[in-house]
Order: sequence, then C-alpha cells, then structure tokens
Amino acid sequence: MTAVRLSLRLGRWGLLGFSVLAFASSLIQAVGFYQIAGHTAASRAAFAQSMSQLASQLTFILAPPAGLDTVGGYVEWRSFGGLAIVFAIWALVSGSGAARGDEERGLVEAVLATGVTRSRWLAERVMGYAVTTFVAALAGGLGLVAGAASGGESISVGPVLEISFALAALGLSCYSVTLVIAQLTGGRIATAAAGVVLLALFLVNRLSQTFTWLASWRWISPFHYYELNQPLAPGGTFDGRATLTMLGIAMVGAAVAGVVFELRDLGAPLVHWTSRHRPAGYEPSSSPFWRIPAVRGLYERRAGLSVWAAGLAAVGVLFVYLTKTVIQPLLSIPALSQFFGGFAGGRLYMTFLGYFWLSFAQLLFAAFAITQVARWSAEDSDGRLEMILSTPRSRASVVVERAIALTLSAALVAAVSGVAVAIAAHYQAMDVSRERLAEGTLLLVPFALVFAAAGAVLAAWNPRAAVGLLGGLAFASYLVDELGPLFKWPTWVQDVSAFKLFGTPLSTGVDRSGLAIMVALILVGFAASILLMERRDIGA
Amino acid sequence: MKFEIAQLHGAYMLREMAVSAIRTSKLSKDYGDGRGLFDLDLEVASREVFGYLGPNGSGKTTTIRLLMGVIRPTGGAAYVFGLNCWRDYVAVKHRVGYLPGDMPQFGSLRGKEVVAYLGGMRGGADPKTVRSIADRFDLDLNRHFREYSSGNKRKLGILLAFMHKPDLLILDEPTNGLDPLNQQEFYELLREARDGGATAFLSSHVLSEVEHICDTVGILRAGKLVRVARLEDLRAVGETSLEETFLSYYSDTDPHQKALPE
Repeated sequence: MTAVRLSLRLGRWGLLGFSVLAFASSLIQAVGFYQIAGHTAASRAAFAQSMSQLASQLTFILAPPAGLDTVGGYVEWRSFGGLAIVFAIWALVSGSGAARGDEERGLVEAVLATGVTRSRWLAERVMGYAVTTFVAALAGGLGLVAGAASGGESISVGPVLEISFALAALGLSCYSVTLVIAQLTGGRIATAAAGVVLLALFLVNRLSQTFTWLASWRWISPFHYYELNQPLAPGGTFDGRATLTMLGIAMVGAAVAGVVFELRDLGAPLVHWTSRHRPAGYEPSSSPFWRIPAVRGLYERRAGLSVWAAGLAAVGVLFVYLTKTVIQPLLSIPALSQFFGGFAGGRLYMTFLGYFWLSFAQLLFAAFAITQVARWSAEDSDGRLEMILSTPRSRASVVVERAIALTLSAALVAAVSGVAVAIAAHYQAMDVSRERLAEGTLLLVPFALVFAAAGAVLAAWNPRAAVGLLGGLAFASYLVDELGPLFKWPTWVQDVSAFKLFGTPLSTGVDRSGLAIMVALILVGFAASILLMERRDIGA
Repeated sequence: MKFEIAQLHGAYMLREMAVSAIRTSKLSKDYGDGRGLFDLDLEVASREVFGYLGPNGSGKTTTIRLLMGVIRPTGGAAYVFGLNCWRDYVAVKHRVGYLPGDMPQFGSLRGKEVVAYLGGMRGGADPKTVRSIADRFDLDLNRHFREYSSGNKRKLGILLAFMHKPDLLILDEPTNGLDPLNQQEFYELLREARDGGATAFLSSHVLSEVEHICDTVGILRAGKLVRVARLEDLRAVGETSLEETFLSYYSDTDPHQKALPE
C-alpha cells in the first residue's frame, strides 16, 4: 500500500483544493437557489421556467436539467454538471502526472528499484486516486447538504452519496483513460493527447443532443453514463448500471495501462519511431528569431502555439455549425421568427454565435493563460529562470518579455480562430458582422492577459502555488459573473470578474469601460509582478 | 578605483586595476535554525582560480547564488569587479559566465537552440567560439536537450558559461558527471581562460581536482569560512595534503549540523 499512501500524499493539495471547490460550488448554488427562487411554489415555478431557457442555451456544456424548482434538481444541474468537467480536468492532470510526470522526475524508477512491480504501482496509484476523488466528490455533496440546511430544508443522505459516487466514478474513468493514453504516447505529448481524447469523449456526448448522427456513438463516453444519474432531482434515479459501467471503464483502462507499462521502456512510449539520422553539428542555431526579445518566446513555442491555434479554429468552426443547427429550426417557426426579428436588431445568428462561441472561447483563453503561467512557474523551479538571469537581463525585462510574448501568442491564436469562424459563418450564410467578430475575437487577448497578469503576480510571489491559486481565481471570477447579478453584488465586485468585463461584444459591441478596466488590471498586475520579482529570491 | 588605459586590438579599453574579481563583506544569508551562510569575508584576486570547498549543505551554492544576484543577502554585501551583486546584477552579468549545479530543463529544444536562445540574450553567440568548445568536448548540438546524458548536459553548461569569454567564471561543481577525458579537457579550457585574463570561482567536492587546477582554496564549514589559503603556501609550510587539511576541519563535526535545509 506504499503507492496508495504516496499517491494520497502527492495528491493532498489537489484533494484539498478540489474538495473546497466542490463544496463551495454546491453550497453557493444551493444558497443562491433560495435567494433567487424563493420559498413559494409559484416563485420556484417561475424560476424553473427561466432556468430552463438558460439550460437550453447551455446544452453544449451541461446536461438537460430535471426538477429545477427544487434545490436538489438545481444543484445537480448547475453544480454537479460543471463539476463533471472540473473533475475530468483534474483526472487528466493527475493521470498524466502519475503516468509520465513522476517518471520524468525519477520517482517511478526509484519506487520500482525497491521491488514493487509495475502493475502493482499503477494499480495502487489508481486506488489512491479513487479515494481522493471520492472524498472531493463527497465534499460537493456536503456543500449541497449545508446549502439546503441554510434554506431550512434537508436532503436525504442516500441521493447525496449516489451523486458523489457517480461523480467519483466519472473522475476515475477519466483518470484511467488518461493513464492508457499516457502509457502509449511519449511523455511530452501525454497530457495533450489525453486531453484531446477526453475532450472528444465529452463533445461526443454533449453534441449528440444537437447532432443526431452522434447519438449512436454516445455509448463510448463516460460522460454519457454520468448524466444517466439524476438522483437529486425529484423522481430522478441513480443508475447503478451506468455507474458500474464507468467503474468498468476505469478498471479496464487501468488493466490496459498496466499491460502497456509492463511492455514499454521507462521514459519511452510503447511504439518507438526511429528518428532519421542527423549528422552531428557544433554550431549554434542561425535563426535570427533567437535574438529578438519576445519573438524568441513565440519561436520556441511554435509547435504548441500551432496546436492551440488549429485547435481553437476547429472548435470555433464547430460552434458555427452548432449555432446554425440550433437557430435555423427556430427561425422556421413564423411566430418565433417574428419575435426574434426585433431581437438583437434581427442579427440573431450573431447574437447566439457570440453566446455560444465566445463564452466557450473565454474558458479556453483562460486555460491558455493558465498554461503559460504554469510555464513561468516551472521556469522558476527548474532553474531555467536562474539561467536566463545569468545573462545581462533585468528581472523587470523578463516579466515584460513574458507579457509581450503572451500578448502576441494570444493575438495569434485569436486571429486564426476568428478568421476560421468568419469563413465558416460566411459559408453557412450566417449574417455576422465582420467588424464585430474581429473586435469580439481580439477582445479575448486582454481577457487572457487579465488572468496572465494575476498569474504573473502569483508566480512572482509563490511559483509553486501559482497555478492552483490562479485556477481558483479563474473559477471565482466565473462565479462572480454568474452570481453577481443574481445576488445584486456591488458593481465594483462584479467588475473584478474578467468574464463580466468581457461583456457580449457580438451583440452589444465592445464595452469600452470594461476594456479600460481590463487594461488597468493588466498593467497593475504586471507592474506588481515586476516589483515582487525585483525583491524575491529566485527558486525559493 | 584605479584604471589604466590599455590598447588592445587597436581599441582603447579601461582595465580595472587592484579591484578584486570577487569581494564579500560580512555576506550572510540566514535561512533560520542556524542554517545558511554567515559573515563571509572573502576576496578573490583577478586571474586567480579559486576553489571553494565544503561538504553538502555547507553553503557553497548559497554563496554562488548570492554572487549571481539570484538570492538576496540578509546581511553584508558581495561585489564582482567592484559592482554590487544584488544592486548592479545586470552589469555584473556582462562580465560573468555561470554554470549552475544542476542544469535546467530545456526539454524539446536542440542543443544549438539552447545556445542561440541564451546567446541571443547576450546579443548573439559567436559561432566560432561555440564551434571550438563544442568540438573539443565532442558535443553534438543537433541533438535534443532531453536526449542528452547528464555528462552531455554538463558539457552544454560549460559551453554556455565559456562561450562569451567572460572575465569571471562562476562554476558550481563543474566536472560533476564528466568522464576523465572530458575532465582533462575542461581543465585545459580553464587554464586557457585564466591565461587569457579570466578569473574562476569554482566549488567542488573533488579535492584532487582542486589541488590540480586551483591557486587558492577556501574551506566552508556550517556556513562559515574557516580557512583560505594559497595552495603553494600550504605546500611551502609543509602542511599535509589538501585532503588531510580539509578533513581536519570536519573530524569533530556533528553529522546533523548542516548549513542548509536538506
């Protein structure tokens, strides 16, 4: 059980962070339910109706809800629906870390040298993660219980345990899928490859609501089995078979990963492609890009940037088709067509494209910023920053160069995805203003920079905690945007959220004051980062 | 500060005279619990090869990182060619070549890209010098950094430290991981640098190596400098070998007494 204990120890911060996050998410949604929906049957019915409309717009992210006039049904949709995505991301990071990250830092080699077999090591890591994810999922359930208690209601323990168990089973199945992919691929691309597979499994399930031809493939997605469980809604059920299927996916995945692990060399993928012979060289790269500040950062990350740009362009095109598929049937109904005619100046496609695509793009750009901050933190802890500072560079210039490189990277990714969306919209004969689309897409750059600036401060203050804290900050920012208007929080509180400041550029144009606040936050963040960097010990 | 004007390659240059390459005054870095570096007073003359000795955790790397200005002293100050290492750290780096104890990860970059990347931050790497050093260590710069063995990573670090012909080399355990042939090559490279006017400050665990290449040694114990001596003086007064001199400072050391966190 050494590996189980080790797994729990290595994952203790993840356990703590995700438990707090799950608890807070359910608690806030439950408390919010009573604040907004009230306590009478009529007010709750009205609330459920308005939420149903919102739910119909969010089907590409969240499963269709049930029992929105009850706290259980609402929290199941709003909190546990979102937590499915959060737990999948956690499983991705933990799984690739267990399969490849620990191997790259020599931990696996050290453990195997003690006589532990590879299969046992992997099995115990899976067991360790199972405990971790169940505890965090249970924290989500406890958040609901606490929230319901604040509204004078009580929630049965059974359904809470059931939804927690289903969420943990989903996390575990995603973890095992990641383990398999990470065993098959090289260490460098393990996280990206597993991320693509999990995203595909998620989209197959979610988009099958819109694209019927995908419905026949839904069975391959663990997210589908998770959504079959709706134990918190009145009349909802816990689908034991679906949950067992998720656990089956986890077990089969772990077994396959174990077999592959037994077959491959440590530090290598299962299948080795022999690289072509390259003659030895003794001269530095002659590329001029290495001498140009900021540009060298882009040049170094050219492969990763290409993947981000191509990936976002592909997702953008997908959302254009999704918007068309959702809106076109509505416009074919004369009454609705007349109603929508006066809506958003008649540019319905543009409004909904903004809602669907730019909402999703915000999440991706926030993730993009967080990955860059993770890189800055890694540079600090692995000694690369120390090496950079052994050249005649000031710490301030390092921060400024990072900011410029990130601005250029985000602008490149935004431009490529924006052009792809514009072309797809044109071919779908959708009435979309090119100017608005360009402005809205480019607004993603300062949006990403707000998170990057906060990350720069955190990376300068405590690099090891920066990514976790920034992830929490991004989540809090999202919650502020979601809950601020409902709870009527002060404007200045809502303005702290980058999601709020981004606004709805496709339907209402760029919010100049929101943009000004974003720019101010960016400048203050990077200036604070410079001040902190100038005073701190590198690598501490 | 005294200067003389010397003509070199047809151009006039200011050359500092009588300014130590390294000078520290009560330099301290206190990590708490009696760990760190304390009241270090040290002077390394120009064109000297200074060997810095001490067991693990005695404060060698802390001294080096203070000299490089990556950590801030809790007391005292360090100077490189008269420049304050913390306040004037950018100016200091113009004259320093640095080899850290552990090479950072450059992942998927090729060796030649790492050289161009860090060389680019100095305005460009001289291909002739790079080729000369890479060639003598037989370091293939076309390979990815992640494919390098620990010895090859060390060679790359040496190349990065020497490639801009610095006035001062600060090297943390430079031969760690090098095979005997490449160790000899490194000694030769260091000798050439010194003959060319450079100063070297290197930490090492290999006493025979220090005896072989250094002019002066400093011995650290639990964060305090306990001895500085020129090797020729040690030999002249008939002291025993450097190894015995070194060990004499540790014979009564509490094994739990460390200067740095483990």
